[in-house]
Amino acid sequence: MSEIPENLSYTEDHEWVGPNEGDGVKVGITDYAQDSLSDVVFVELPNVGDTYQRGEVMAVAESVKAASDIYAPIAGKIIAVNDKLEESPELVNESPYGSGWMVVIEPSEDMSALIDAESYKNSLD
Amino acid sequence: MSLSQTCLHDEHVKLGAKMVDFAGWHMPIQYTGIVSEHKSVRERVGIFDVSHMGQIFISGDEASSFLSYVTTWDISKLADGDCRYCHILNDDGNIIDDTIVYTFDKKNFMLVPNASMISKVFNWLLSKSKNFSVKVDNKSEDYFCIAVQGPESLRLLRQYLNVSISPFKLTKLDDLIISGTGYTGEKGYEIIGPLSECLTVWQSFLDMGAIPIGLGARDTLRLEKGYLLSGTDFNGSQTTLESGYSWVIDWKHDFIGKEKLVSQKESDYASLSGILLEERGVLRPGLPVFFNGNQISKLTSGSLSPMLKRGIGLSYLDLPIGTNVNIQVRDKQLKGRVIHTPFL
Repeated sequence: MSEIPENLSYTEDHEWVGPNEGDGVKVGITDYAQDSLSDVVFVELPNVGDTYQRGEVMAVAESVKAASDIYAPIAGKIIAVNDKLEESPELVNESPYGSGWMVVIEPSEDMSALIDAESYKNSLD
Repeated sequence: MSLSQTCLHDEHVKLGAKMVDFAGWHMPIQYTGIVSEHKSVRERVGIFDVSHMGQIFISGDEASSFLSYVTTWDISKLADGDCRYCHILNDDGNIIDDTIVYTFDKKNFMLVPNASMISKVFNWLLSKSKNFSVKVDNKSEDYFCIAVQGPESLRLLRQYLNVSISPFKLTKLDDLIISGTGYTGEKGYEIIGPLSECLTVWQSFLDMGAIPIGLGARDTLRLEKGYLLSGTDFNGSQTTLESGYSWVIDWKHDFIGKEKLVSQKESDYASLSGILLEERGVLRPGLPVFFNGNQISKLTSGSLSPMLKRGIGLSYLDLPIGTNVNIQVRDKQLKGRVIHTPFL
């Protein structure tokens, strides 16, 4: 069973969005997504300062076999990226909601497009 | 069309493997993860179900001269118990398939073609056998094949069957054919036998601690060593010279396709070359390769080397070793260098 923390928000494309911390929100991919990808061996992250519309490709996670696009779950500006993924992409598998986070976005819109843990869980069934 | 299943299909499903369509077969791509399976083979020992591969038996008074005619190697030079990797070419010198020829004795041989090429190779051999006193038998559906590969593989063979095996030699043990062959670059062997013994052999190796390995790691293992993948690195329009495997040609004998190779040998031609990515990234089959700003080729194979943690790929290039090239990955051109294979 996939782990789906209650305190996070989600997209149906398997990104999670954390609660507000300072200026922005942390973003990563869900446990379900990392499990489907299997061994993540490379993560291409955006540059700090890049801005994205909701749904635009902002990062790519690659396993040995496939590359998967990661979409901006909300519109906004990238204010931090997880540099540790450069050397240790496996953190995405080991701790998708923790040390495997990908970016911090300063949102330029509200969170109403996101779904809660229960709705995300239902979308997986 | 429904997918074919090997004798071990249900075992793979029971082990929780992710199953995929491979050349018309429902095969395990991975059990636990490609990277960990890859490392198990490099560091310990893994077993692979490769029962989808073929077994074509060639027998008769002229079996050895026939096989010399249809392959790049002079099979008549092989001794009883020898295995030889070589290519089967068409009349234009292009590779139909690569194969291993098993020499049981001067009149009895076996060929192991790739899964997707079994009927093509069989029909080709049949059509070329008319002027020879030989029998060509496709028994691919009667045999399993299990590869055991890795530094600990020989210890397991001694433990299980109390035999040893040298590289590119074969030994028969009751119904089993054991050969010092493989597709990983590690010490190891392949066991071919009747379907009735398939499950026992598989389970025995699992019980001795061998790790089941899927097709995903099989691909990264072979790519690190620069081994060709049939249908991917050659697909009917490349010669043995172009594939970079001139060492499988014995020029001193006559064989189908030789004329083309002899003339090509004196010319310039693009040959399959290794590309090592100099920046972080993963290479994929089909990615465009650039030199001096122009696209000159595509990658045939590409992946990430789990041991080097670098992008690696193969491409047909007419460039010297050491040349800098660029590979287009999404919206970026990443730096790569042409290198001699193997990568590892």
